[in-house]
Parts: sequence; C-alpha cells; structure tokens
Amino acid sequence: MQAHSLSRGSIAGLPAGSGGALPALVLVGLFFVVPVVALLLRSVTDPEPGLQNYAALFGSGTYVRVFLNTFLVAAVVTVVTIVVAFPVAWMLAIMPPALGSVVFGIIILSMWTNLLTRTYAWMVLLQRTGVINRALMGLGVIHEPLPLINNLTGVTIGMVYIMLPFMILPLVGTLRAIDPMTLRAAALCGASPSQAFRRILLPLSLPGIAAGGLMVFVMSLGYFVTPALLGGTSNMMLAEMIAQTVQSLLNWGLGSAAAFVLLAVTMVLYAIQLRMVGARRLAGGL
Amino acid sequence: MTRPFLSIRAVRKAFGAFVAVHDVTIDVPKGEFLTFLGPSGSGKSTTLYAIAGFQDPTSGDVLLEDKSLLSVPSHKRNIGMVFQRYTLFPHLSVAENVAFPLRVRRRPDAEVKRKVADMLALVRLEKFADRYPGALSGGQQQRVALARALAYDPPILLMDEPLSALDKKLRQEIQAEIRRIHRETGVTVLYVTHDQEEALHLSDRIALFKEGRIEQIGTGEDLYLRPASEFVAGFIGNSNFLPAEHLETENGVALVRLADGSLVKGVKATQALGRGQKARLMVRPEAFRLTPMEGNASLAVEIVDTAFFGDRRRVVARTGSGDEIDVRPTSDTAEPGGTDAASGRQIFFDPTTAFLFPV
Repeated sequence: MQAHSLSRGSIAGLPAGSGGALPALVLVGLFFVVPVVALLLRSVTDPEPGLQNYAALFGSGTYVRVFLNTFLVAAVVTVVTIVVAFPVAWMLAIMPPALGSVVFGIIILSMWTNLLTRTYAWMVLLQRTGVINRALMGLGVIHEPLPLINNLTGVTIGMVYIMLPFMILPLVGTLRAIDPMTLRAAALCGASPSQAFRRILLPLSLPGIAAGGLMVFVMSLGYFVTPALLGGTSNMMLAEMIAQTVQSLLNWGLGSAAAFVLLAVTMVLYAIQLRMVGARRLAGGL
Repeated sequence: MTRPFLSIRAVRKAFGAFVAVHDVTIDVPKGEFLTFLGPSGSGKSTTLYAIAGFQDPTSGDVLLEDKSLLSVPSHKRNIGMVFQRYTLFPHLSVAENVAFPLRVRRRPDAEVKRKVADMLALVRLEKFADRYPGALSGGQQQRVALARALAYDPPILLMDEPLSALDKKLRQEIQAEIRRIHRETGVTVLYVTHDQEEALHLSDRIALFKEGRIEQIGTGEDLYLRPASEFVAGFIGNSNFLPAEHLETENGVALVRLADGSLVKGVKATQALGRGQKARLMVRPEAFRLTPMEGNASLAVEIVDTAFFGDRRRVVARTGSGDEIDVRPTSDTAEPGGTDAASGRQIFFDPTTAFLFPV
C-alpha cells in the first residue's frame, strides 16, 4: 500500500504525459542506476568503509600508468578512426544512393559479425608469422617481421577497425546535410581543394566528428576484448586491469573504484561535449 | 573588328548519346548583361557550367580576353557566381562570407575589411554584417551571395537562376537591385533564367535556347518585335497563333487566308513560303484593337469573356473556325459589349505587326 502511493507520487512529479515512459524509466533504474550505485557503494565499503580503494588507485604508479595508457590508446584510436572514417563517409555521402546503400550495408554487416571472430582474424593477420608480415617479407619490403601485435600498433589497428562504423554513421549524416553546391561556390570563390576542405568542409562536418569522436573515445576507454587479445602487457588498459583485479585478485572494492572513475571521466567528457555543441548552436551557425 | 571580351566558341556538351548543348557560339562584349533564356533542359545552365568549370564541354572553347579558360580549374578562373540555391557558408557570418574569396587569396586584413564594407554597402546589407546566413531571408541571402561573388572584382559574373527560389514581389525587388549593381560595377554578367519577364527586365541581350541550340540572340525588342521563329514568338511575351494558309508573297509582304476563310494582306513573311503552304499567323494580344484603324485587318469573332485589369482589358474571343484568341486592349478603349457567346463582332489588328511562320 505504501509502495503504491510512493509510485503515484513519483508520477505526479513528472511532466504531464510522461506516464508512457515509466516502463523505460523502471528498466533504466533497475538495470543501470541501481548497479552503478551498488558499484559506488562497494568502492567505498569493500573491504571496509573509507576511501582506501581510491587512495590505492591514485597512489600507485602502476594504476596511474594504466589510466594514462587507457586515455592514450582511446585518443590514438579516436584520431586514427576520424582520419580513416572521413574519406569513407565523404564517399558514401556523395555516392549515388543505390551504391551507397550497398556500401552502407557492408559496413553495418561488419558490425553484426562477432567481435571475437574479427579480433582473432586480426591476430592471424598481424602476428610475426602472419599474412601481412610474410607478404611484406616475400615482397622484400622488410627483412625482419614488423612488431604489429601485442603493442599499441596492434591495439590501434584492431580497435579502429571495430570503431569505424560508429564514426562513419554520424559523419555520413552530417556530410549528407552539406549542400555540394556550397563546395562549388567555395571553388569559384577561389578556394583551392585544400582550402575548401579546411575552411568549409571540415568546419561544417565538426558536429558529426564530435559526435562520432566522443562515441569512439568513450567506447574505447572501456574496451576489453581487443586490447586483451592484441595488446601487450606493457600497455594494459583499464578494462583489463579491472578484470584482473576482480577475477584474479578478487579485490571487488578496487575494481569497483576503477570502474567508477572511468564512468565519472566519461560523464564529464560527455558534459563538455554537450556544452560545446550547445555553444555552437547558440552562435547561430549550425 | 575588336576582339570579343568573352568568346564562347562552338561549345558542345554530350552526355553519352544525349547532346545537351549543340555547338553554341556567342561573343560577349565587356560590360554586357547577357541572359541565357530557355525552358528547362534547353542547355542554358550546361553552357554556363562550362564557363564556370563545373562541366568540361565535349568540344569547343571558352576564351576570356583571348585566353582559353578550359584548362584552368574552377578555383583559378577568377569568375564570380551566384547560384540558384543558397550557397552561403552557414558557419561564417555575413561579413566573413563576403571576405572568404579575399581570405583564400591572402589579401591583407585592411583591404579585406574595406572591400567587405564596400560590398555590403553595394547590396545594402551593412547592418547584417555580423548575422549568420541562417538568420537571413532568402532575398537577403542572395544579396550576400552577390556581394561575395563581386568581392574580388571578377571580370565575369555568372548567375544561375538566382531568383527562382524567391517569391514574386521579392524577385522584382532584387531584379531592380541587380540592374543597379550591374550599372554601378560595370561587370559582365551571364544570367540564366527560364523567366522571360526577368530576362526582358535585366538584359542588354538575350540568347534564347531551345534543345541545346540558340534559337535567336538579340535585344529584348528584337526577340519580341522581330521573332525569328514560332518558338521565339511563343516564348517571349504572349502570342496568338492562328492557323493560316500562305497564298503569295511579294516584296516580303504576304497574303494569307485564315481558317475561317478571311484574307489578310500585308503580313511580314520571315521565311520563304510556298504557295498554299500551311502556316501560322502570330498576333500579339496587345496588337488587337476593338475599333478599326487605317489599313487594319479584321477578324470576325464572338466574345467569350471579358475582364478588367486596370491598365488593360482582357478579352477572350473565338474565331469562326473555333480558335480562341487572347486580346489585351488598353482599358481606355470601349467595353467590347455583351459577353454572351452569341454576340458577334469584329476585332482588328495591324497586319505589319503580325508574323507568319511555317508549320
């Protein structure tokens, strides 16, 4: 009876007509907010109440290095993904629609293929005796196998490949909204192709780059499978560290603290991006 | 003979088997306002794009002061252009849009500032310098586009149906602006439109396109008063076409028989016609009179409808052979009388203002 009146009260507190959103709110509350709160609680209560988990996290050089490495990898992956995705997205945006939807389908299909399979495929390609190294040596381009795996290169290649669709999709949307005539106008105004790109196309595609970039960066921060398989021990990422802390060391408190820090950083980044996009809108341009 | 400023020589553009432009040749003197007029798909925009460098012609050449433009990429042609759609850069303010062509040319800041101020004054948008294109009306955006296209003093300004997205009142306003700006800057303008009124209002000369060819080129008066073909007569202004039979021509003056059997003499023949050849007699609506004058031809009609339009009346008449005629006498002439279909009467026209075209 009491619970009933409580839930009625909470509905009354929401804007009119939001009753339909209730199931979704319950779902989010039950499966997202509650675990996050539990995580937070665990990080300050396990093994005993206090901030000792956070102190350990920020006090230890190893953990700080893992944090920094996580951000480095996420940043490198994001930048490389933007650079690779841009020409693809531009091609998709200006392609005839029929051909475009085929290429789009292929990109979407790659997203549906099992992540582990794709990562193992990269292992086969990148390892010392892998296809790439053997081909390059066979062609006489190199004499020693290139170290393509168990390092930053391997992680970057594997993660960029997985992140590409998340960058391409928002970017295509932004690029399609740009009138190609605008670029012709820039050309007739005297802008060389590189000037037209820097002064017109790039600024106009910034919202797409920002949206895709944030998504890729945030996903990369917490990524586990690819760094675990293609990365090396010297550049461990946070998700791997959390897994080890919880699985091997059974230190739930420390693992929770690390996960919570990651979540907090992500949310701060998201807030910054929201503010930047909002400021641009206010400036009137887009 | 002096060299032409801009010379379009036998420009042809084919898309596969379809030829969009057939060997178009025009010489444009410096400072002229030349309009490419024609229905959509007549090749006028394609010709303009060849000059802009967006589409290379299949053959032919475009010479500016005797130098070929074709091998020069768009961004080095130094040509100004205003487009059909709004192509302002949405992330730049009005002033920065106008400054853009100067910035990419790396002109010094002081010059850019002065030129932007001049250009915004030219299009009367000084107060809007700091606005963004999204906050401007369509007409204002096209004026900014005009300022941007003229900021670097291009020798030629191309305009591709720049007013087609605007409503009628705004179109007329901006037409007046374009006339003024052409007068003030003396820039050579190539203007594309499908609107004959716009062409007549703006142009020094009009090139009327039909199916990729120039049907006639000349002043608005040439095209209106001395149309070279039925197509020209039909496209420029309003026209009545009466089925006729050519009887004979003497000294360029033809005698024809209309479908109702009446004879009209003294018609100008633009082309040689055989005896008994089927033809069409073109008479402008305003050439018809309700009262006869010396030497006028007459036509027995019944009045179908009549309306008053202030400066003119509009009378719909029907000939004995059933052809409807649009008559626009000035409104100071008398009311044509009863509007019931039975009321028969005669209307008159000066045969020397009529043209005979072969069918």
